[in-house]
Amino acid sequence: MNLNDCYNFSDFRKLAKKKLPAPIFHYIDGGSDDEETLKRNTDSFSKFDLVPNILASVGEPDLSTKVLGTKIDMPLFLSPVAMQRLFHHDGDKASARAAEKFGTFYSMSTMATSSIEEIANKAGGPKMFQIYIHKTQGLTENLIDRCKSSGFNAMCLTVDTIVAGNRERDHKWGFTTPPRLTLKSLMSFAMHPMWTMNYLTHEKFQLPNVSNFVKKSSSIAKGVMEYINEQYDPAMNWKDAEYCIKRWGGPFALKGVMSVEDAKRAVDIGASAIILSNHGGRQLDGSRSPFDQLPLIADEVGGKIEIILDGGIRRGTHVLKALSLGATACSFGKGFLFALGAGGQRGVESILQKMHDEIKRDMILMGCKSIKELNKSKVTLR
Amino acid sequence: MNLKDCHNFNDFRTLAKKKLPSPIFHYIDGAADDEVTYKRNTLAFNDVDLVPNVLRGVENVDLSTTIFGKKLDLPFYCSPTALQRLFHYQGERAVGKAAQKFNTMFGVSSLATVSVEEISSLVNTPKLFQFYYHKDKGLNNAIVERVKAAKFDVMALTVDTITGGNRERDLRTGFTSPPKLTLSSLFSFATKPMWGINYVTRGKFELPHLQDHIKEGTSTATSIGNYFSTMLDQSMSWKDAENLCAKWGGHFALKGIMSVEDAKRAVDIGCSGIMVSNHGGRQLDGARSPFDQLAEIVDAVGDKIDVICEGGIQRGTHILKALSLGAKACAGGRLYLYALAAAGQAGVERALGQYRSELERDMKLMGCTKISELNRNNLKFRNV
Repeated sequence: MNLNDCYNFSDFRKLAKKKLPAPIFHYIDGGSDDEETLKRNTDSFSKFDLVPNILASVGEPDLSTKVLGTKIDMPLFLSPVAMQRLFHHDGDKASARAAEKFGTFYSMSTMATSSIEEIANKAGGPKMFQIYIHKTQGLTENLIDRCKSSGFNAMCLTVDTIVAGNRERDHKWGFTTPPRLTLKSLMSFAMHPMWTMNYLTHEKFQLPNVSNFVKKSSSIAKGVMEYINEQYDPAMNWKDAEYCIKRWGGPFALKGVMSVEDAKRAVDIGASAIILSNHGGRQLDGSRSPFDQLPLIADEVGGKIEIILDGGIRRGTHVLKALSLGATACSFGKGFLFALGAGGQRGVESILQKMHDEIKRDMILMGCKSIKELNKSKVTLR
Repeated sequence: MNLKDCHNFNDFRTLAKKKLPSPIFHYIDGAADDEVTYKRNTLAFNDVDLVPNVLRGVENVDLSTTIFGKKLDLPFYCSPTALQRLFHYQGERAVGKAAQKFNTMFGVSSLATVSVEEISSLVNTPKLFQFYYHKDKGLNNAIVERVKAAKFDVMALTVDTITGGNRERDLRTGFTSPPKLTLSSLFSFATKPMWGINYVTRGKFELPHLQDHIKEGTSTATSIGNYFSTMLDQSMSWKDAENLCAKWGGHFALKGIMSVEDAKRAVDIGCSGIMVSNHGGRQLDGARSPFDQLAEIVDAVGDKIDVICEGGIQRGTHILKALSLGAKACAGGRLYLYALAAAGQAGVERALGQYRSELERDMKLMGCTKISELNRNNLKFRNV
């Protein structure tokens, strides 16, 4: 099996599973607890059916949309994901360049394995920075100011990671960053020699955005859950979010908003967007899926703030359903990560191409000429 | 396993799988993307239950119904499907003769492998021609004239194939028409020698309605998805449909209507019927199922035009449920295609016979003797 045999999300996942050492594959693939929310994120799209219009002489539909002050060529972009260098030795460079090719957002995690400055130099497309508020004084300001001077287009603050979710697969596989070798994981690394070779022979693993502030960011093997619980500030509140918005001064999103009440507050503090997300089912298991919650949120704050739907997107039709119910755009993490693991930049380009083609085909079959034509009348609740 | 062991839809499917090279089986069996809509098309029938009436004196059941001004002995017919000679060497000849035996309608595809003239000379029951609106207007006109001359009763314009659906099974098996041999498909063809022998010895494969106009009509291997995307006119509009309807001048239907709004417009442009269909789940995955959508459409236009429910039908009770909601008739492709692949004309006859006896039995058990007695009082929707 290789990239040419990958036609959809499941194929890329399968190929990534072959290519990646098990602890790393399961870090991407897993959710928290029983992974109920992880499953529901995708399953929830079946609740609504599309109702197409025919004879609409669609021709070439326009897939572009404007989100966070930037026009993007397709209504789907890459969510911020930590430590991409673990999934492929080109890491963030690969995903940023692939996103640039498709004229859509690449998002950088605070925990990225490339620096803000390096990516700004290497990829010219729209870029969003995802910020975590650390306990360490000065780090937040440092990150915001560096993004400003590097010309990032937007910023989002993750608000659903106050403590780490219970990711049991990581316990089981001893997933740490950088990878620590246990007997079981050693076996798996040994059986994926290409990954291991690439990991060892390319640049050193580090988290350059935080390395000057947090010594544990590079050399000490540390579980992600442990890092979150030690470094992130659990006292983070609405005031802190407002502070970040002011300091940044540009398009700003809160990532991980789920309740209607919080969505309204996001409007009040001047956020430009909310990213409706449960962190890909990796934090609070049993929490509602973004798509299930979307109609409630859109009814309350639609038109006042942009709504980005993040979670469970595997198909072009999922994007169409979300946009019909009031989302401005969608984003996905696992959706492109398996492709990154499977084939680096080429892999990410391949999944973006497929999603682009699916969205375009589905728009034509729906009889829609542009994203603006998608509205509630295009879907029916089953 | 042989034809005598086939008692329902799934049995025919199992036998077809044994007989057909896998690219061809999966072409019939597959649908778009994750095949969610394909599955839903049949599962939708389970959301509503039948409520029988008893002591009604039901020894004689009349299953006949009238659509497009034609009386059929059965309230279901064979939808037009492409490339039938790939499934069995008798192809359209088998399906047409079987339909005639049961005095029901026979749908013929633009991508049929037997010409309308020949079908017309073989089959004298009502015939429907399925029309694809090509970019080549000369081709469109020529087909209309031929179909008129062959005295077909109904023309149905397919409106849900503006672009090819994402049929991933075809991508994996390398399904093209005529079949192109890859290493893995070669293996599959080699292990089904009977199919191969019949395919090679029973007359050259061709698409007689298209072959004078486009090279895809004959020997160039092309995938169906690619054909839709490159040959059909993506700018097809309501005006085009209206013009075609007028040019045809007879009973005209739109196949692939799903929204209420579009159903009303079909009435306005002079259609005498519509097929509520999502192309068997083969085009837009995530689209609503015809049965789920049926009531809304019947409420809007059921008194003005014939509403035909097409998609997911595998049982007599499915037909009963659709007719109770207000459909005038049902139609299906896979419901006879597996049987065609399994045993040609004898297979299709056996399948149609089974649906007829199921329907007859179900009518009796419901306490109904005529199709016109079916209505929504027979049904109870489950709270899902």
